[in-house]
Amino acid sequence: MSTRRHEDSVRTGLLWISPWLLGFTLFLLTPLAMSVYYSLSDYPVLERPVFIGLANYKRLFTDPTFWIVLKNTLIFSLVFVPASTLLALGLAALLNKELPGWKFARAIIVLPTLVPAAAAAMAWLWLLNSDAGLINRLLSPLLAVFNLAAPAWLQSRFWAMPAIIIVSLWQVGQSVLIYQAALREVPESLQEAAELDGLTGLRRFWHVTLPMISPVVLFNVVIGIIGAMQVFVFPFIMTNGGPGTATYFYSMYLYDNAFLFGPQMGYACAMAWVQMMMVGALTWLLFRMSRKKVHYRGGGA
Amino acid sequence: MHDRTSITRRAALGVLAAAGVGYAVFGPRGSRDPLARGRVQLTYWEKWTGQEALAMQRLVDKFNQSQDRIYVRYLSMTMIEQKAMVAIAGGSPPDIIGLYNKSLPLFAESKAILPLAELAAKHNLTRETYADAIWRLCNVHVRDADSKLGPPQLYGLPNTCSTMALYYNRRLLVEAGYDESVVPTSISQLDALAEEFTIIDASKPGAGRFVRLGFTPSEPGWWPHVWAPHFGGSLYDRDTDTATAASEACVRAYEWVQTYPDKLGVQDVMSFQSGLGGYNSAEQPLILGRVAMCLHGPFLVNVIKQFKPDFPFGVAPFPCEWRAEEGTPPTGLVETDVLVIPSNCKHPAEAMEFIAFTQQQANTEQLCIDHAKPSPLATCSPDYYARHPNPYIGVHEAIARSPRGFGYPETRVWNEYENLFRRTFERDIWQLSLRAREALTNVQTAAQSAIDLARERRRLRA
Repeated sequence: MSTRRHEDSVRTGLLWISPWLLGFTLFLLTPLAMSVYYSLSDYPVLERPVFIGLANYKRLFTDPTFWIVLKNTLIFSLVFVPASTLLALGLAALLNKELPGWKFARAIIVLPTLVPAAAAAMAWLWLLNSDAGLINRLLSPLLAVFNLAAPAWLQSRFWAMPAIIIVSLWQVGQSVLIYQAALREVPESLQEAAELDGLTGLRRFWHVTLPMISPVVLFNVVIGIIGAMQVFVFPFIMTNGGPGTATYFYSMYLYDNAFLFGPQMGYACAMAWVQMMMVGALTWLLFRMSRKKVHYRGGGA
Repeated sequence: MHDRTSITRRAALGVLAAAGVGYAVFGPRGSRDPLARGRVQLTYWEKWTGQEALAMQRLVDKFNQSQDRIYVRYLSMTMIEQKAMVAIAGGSPPDIIGLYNKSLPLFAESKAILPLAELAAKHNLTRETYADAIWRLCNVHVRDADSKLGPPQLYGLPNTCSTMALYYNRRLLVEAGYDESVVPTSISQLDALAEEFTIIDASKPGAGRFVRLGFTPSEPGWWPHVWAPHFGGSLYDRDTDTATAASEACVRAYEWVQTYPDKLGVQDVMSFQSGLGGYNSAEQPLILGRVAMCLHGPFLVNVIKQFKPDFPFGVAPFPCEWRAEEGTPPTGLVETDVLVIPSNCKHPAEAMEFIAFTQQQANTEQLCIDHAKPSPLATCSPDYYARHPNPYIGVHEAIARSPRGFGYPETRVWNEYENLFRRTFERDIWQLSLRAREALTNVQTAAQSAIDLARERRRLRA
């Protein structure tokens, strides 16, 4: 292709993607740049931003609520990400066995991901109602045998966090689908060879299947961490962060600062950038740690 | 011949033309109501939904039909404070916004809304038009760069208001051998009645043993910050701009609150609470008989009328620590809905004309009747009392006119303060993880930091 035709082609391409470029610049790049500036400013939204340097970032270290929401978010992530990975992987492996009714089971597992989170939260509010909820209705007779009372799921500061984790795990269907697709990609010949070598059950899964699907596991874990660090909808609707601060998460505090408290959009922007850096650092750490554990086909690591 | 990948001028024009046609057909447009043609069009955002929104819609329709110069487009929405804030900051606000009075200090101090005294005076809307407590809530003392308190200025005009009072099951009083007009006149009397009305089935475990609670400060639990003034305390001192949540009176108030989970059991009372029905349902705890008395607003009568019209209820001012003698002015939380005009509104005079229309006695009274709320006006017509759905509306209006009626702390950081307070209340006070004094000292310290930050913010913009 001649240089002129190449230039024409590039120009045409740029012209066709210009609506996207315009949107990207206006609605992503510009707000990103502005949020950096706001994070260095005192910006109460209704008044002009005033540059205050790193004061917002410094304030984070002395804000007790910041540490509470950070701790809550890390606890949630530390429990939710491994639990959702194990659950999704287990369900996918089970579905892969194609036991009778597996297609129906898959539909049931995936269905919750199609339910809007707000609607799901309302349904779970009733399910977890400590007096009249279905879960406690089922649990109460069992616990009564041990002379224990069913938990006040969303009212107790001890049970509210587990309740939010359980509800979040309910929407694990998407990961199950991804894992199931990955499991089907594991060459049958490898499984057979392993079986001939005497590897069965969990050992075969550990030594053959898991390494083969490790890039998919890494992908899901990274996505899981990003999602967990931004947990918002379920606690926002079901507990509003309560009781007290038991389920008050990072994104909720960020939202409150941005739109309720003052408001303090500058402080909220600083929180957002710190959140992004934390997620970035965790992802980088994960990639570093998984270098020798994740096996890409074709030998790349 | 053109390269297959190149774009022709005709194709580019075609795409642009298609976009133009799409915009013309599906793009934004003014009201399609024929009434709107040729008039100044105003946009009015209001926070009410459901029946309350429909009542306001009727008033807007009445205004639109009453004259031919102005047309008001009415939009009902939730989270209005946040949406109003973004719209004003973005330079595209509605002409009229229905806010809560607690939002006024923030919006006024930020110069996001117009002072209304001058505009209102042109329509003869002055101090004399309104009940004293309501007028006070609509006026804001804007602080200057040194955080010195300015004179009160009118920033919003009220359309409906609320006061909180004690709602009780009258039948229970009679069954217990009391005259049904006898109501608790002090906190200790309330506690005694609460104990008398509580029914416990000892054969059942946990929360299941509560057949009925006489009273619990957590039902409905919407105003955890309300108790201090009933003990002579206040969460905030406007004159010194300081948080006073840990004052002796406040501590006494929340020590009293803690006596309830103390004697009923934290876990059990929480479980009981979570099993109670929702506010707007046939399972509302008071009408269902699960609680005998509760603090509530006048709007509860709408739920009673809808789900159990024959429910024998009574209303009285919520008691105080001290015994109320005959003729003592009642104490209670007063809040009001206010109409404000954004400072970058395009048609302030027309907006005020609409607001003035809503303030006419007949219109205000109709709206208050539809909302089952007290009137914010200084006087009410006999017809209003005759038609009002709440037979005890007089009790609520007495609180609105009482010198002991109290509003939310007048500070721009109230949202943050309220959030801190609510979380501490739920976690430490109600669940007894800290004693009241310690919990309130923590709130006071945190709230003071927010107040100090607001001071710094004012100084930065000096």
